[in-house]
Amino acid sequence: MHWRTRQKAAKIILGGITFFFLIFQWFPLFTMGVLSFTGPDDGTTFPMRSLSLHWYREFLRDSFVDDFKPPMYRSLVLAVICSVTTAGLALAAAQAMRSRFAGSDLFFYLILLGIMAPGILVGLGMAVVARVLGIPLAWYSTTLAVHLVWTLPFGLLLLLAAFNRFDRELEEAALTLGANRWSAFWRITFPLVLPGVIGAALFGFTLSYDEFARSLFATGSEQTLPLIIFAQFDRQLQPTLYAIGTTTTVISLGMVGLFALLFRIVRRRAQTTSPGVN
Amino acid sequence: MTTTPEQNQYDLELKGITKHFGSFMAVGNLSLSVERGQFVCLLGPSGCGKTTTLRIIAGLEEPEKGEVWIDGRRVDDDPPWVRDFAMMFQDFALFPHMTIRKQVAFGLEMLKRPKEEIRRRVDETLATFEIGALADRKPDTLSGGQQQRVALARALITQPRLLLLDEPIGSLDFSLREAVMLELKDVQRRLGISFIWVTHDQNEAFSLGDLVVVMNHARIEQVGPPEAIAERPRTRFVAEFIQGNNVFEGTVESVENGNARIGTPSGSFDVPVEDAPLLAPGAVVTFSVRADILSTRPQAEHVNRLEATCNAVEYLGAIRRYDLQLEDGRSLKYEQFRSAAARIKEGERVSIGWRVEDGVLHASPSAPSDEHRA
Repeated sequence: MHWRTRQKAAKIILGGITFFFLIFQWFPLFTMGVLSFTGPDDGTTFPMRSLSLHWYREFLRDSFVDDFKPPMYRSLVLAVICSVTTAGLALAAAQAMRSRFAGSDLFFYLILLGIMAPGILVGLGMAVVARVLGIPLAWYSTTLAVHLVWTLPFGLLLLLAAFNRFDRELEEAALTLGANRWSAFWRITFPLVLPGVIGAALFGFTLSYDEFARSLFATGSEQTLPLIIFAQFDRQLQPTLYAIGTTTTVISLGMVGLFALLFRIVRRRAQTTSPGVN
Repeated sequence: MTTTPEQNQYDLELKGITKHFGSFMAVGNLSLSVERGQFVCLLGPSGCGKTTTLRIIAGLEEPEKGEVWIDGRRVDDDPPWVRDFAMMFQDFALFPHMTIRKQVAFGLEMLKRPKEEIRRRVDETLATFEIGALADRKPDTLSGGQQQRVALARALITQPRLLLLDEPIGSLDFSLREAVMLELKDVQRRLGISFIWVTHDQNEAFSLGDLVVVMNHARIEQVGPPEAIAERPRTRFVAEFIQGNNVFEGTVESVENGNARIGTPSGSFDVPVEDAPLLAPGAVVTFSVRADILSTRPQAEHVNRLEATCNAVEYLGAIRRYDLQLEDGRSLKYEQFRSAAARIKEGERVSIGWRVEDGVLHASPSAPSDEHRA
């Protein structure tokens, strides 16, 4: 075969694989989205006999809202706290690792363990430790802790990458211009790694918002959204769940969009001329 | 050179600076004094310790031993931000997220000057360096030459006594370098502050420096004005590093009337002893003769003689360099201004001669001098 023909064939095959992978990734969510608009007499699966907003109305009904509103609120607040904390801690950890302090390699691997460790066991471990220490389980304390163990490594990796692209000479230039370390960090270093900080915050938010396994044993009686959804499966399977799932997914995507926008703005501000000036 | 114990006579003094990276000695017991308003070039091959020396002056590296004095004040225990100096980096290190106005104001903002004063002085500085039109732009939209001006303006706005420059024109286009060199020299003269300019380019060092400091292997080989370095290389390293020297190695045969007779594979030559009166027969020494001082029509005064064959002719800007082959197979360089009539053709045999006083005996490498006074 001519090499150009081979190249064309390779493009089509690889493109096809990529396309099918994306379908595989998004089809379940898409299916759920479609089924959430099913009619009032339909079940939780195909065929859909009619279209309606019935299950969204159902989900917004008082008794239902009373069930779901508090967990949703908790999950959102938890995700925001987790997001800010992840960004802050990851920034501090990455900055510390630049100095290659004694044991920084070990520190890095220990933090990374948070990704490897099986979530459900981490949550169980937290529950046991909390009982031994007499700490009551709560979404804003014990759950936050196990979520941070999960989100921090992602944030750290992102910020290490951001610092990797950062030119140390810029900090040195600031020092020679009379900036102390504190000023040099906030005036020079921080604005230039800010895209990484925003990325870490995004991971902190989305990973915490839909975390189930780690929350399961660590949370106590005031449950988060993923826990309450799962509990709902136990009682009865209704298309309401699809409406809830679709709503929370839209919220998640909205957050990702917001962060992406922020990221672009910061990036543009950091690197190019402000618009309108030539 | 003699010094009088007057206060603040020096913009910079280094006393016995030593710095290792692991087991690698970057700077070894280095001392240097820079009088007020001097243009000093640290010249040497890469890895010789010149940049480390600069970073030690700045406080970006900490020496294990030695003292750093800037403008009569000992600063080696001070962090960089309280030392009175400014620095220009090779790639200029402009802050990518700041407009030119912001960059230039940075030094004054760190000094917490009043807003009104900052605005006035930034405007003045932008005007001085002719970058007012760039005030609202960011560095990535500037040409290399413009970036270099911004870096200079940013460094000098706080009116330091001392400007450190780390290969400041190394990243500029070749065609731009000469103009920038002249401009920087002019700025230095006008402000009357000292420049410490690190370079590996001897042309830069010779055309700019009031004082050239040649470094090799963490130590100073020679300090002096450009002519002294070019005409009287103190060590074999300097003679070989500075282009245009012929270096001979040989054994002292006898010492008479202030001259040593030195036997080399290419013949025996008379060289003035000068600073080495204790030179004894049998000692292995090196000496050099500049390529442009040789004579191809030796007279009676040209006591040292050689026969050679011309191998090749090179054209190097204003000079013409001949590669001559001696009878023992070694090569010898001979240089002529290009405006002079070409005397030798390739393949031609020539007689070469030089006067006794044209030879420069080198200090033995085992006796490095540690104290250098400008």
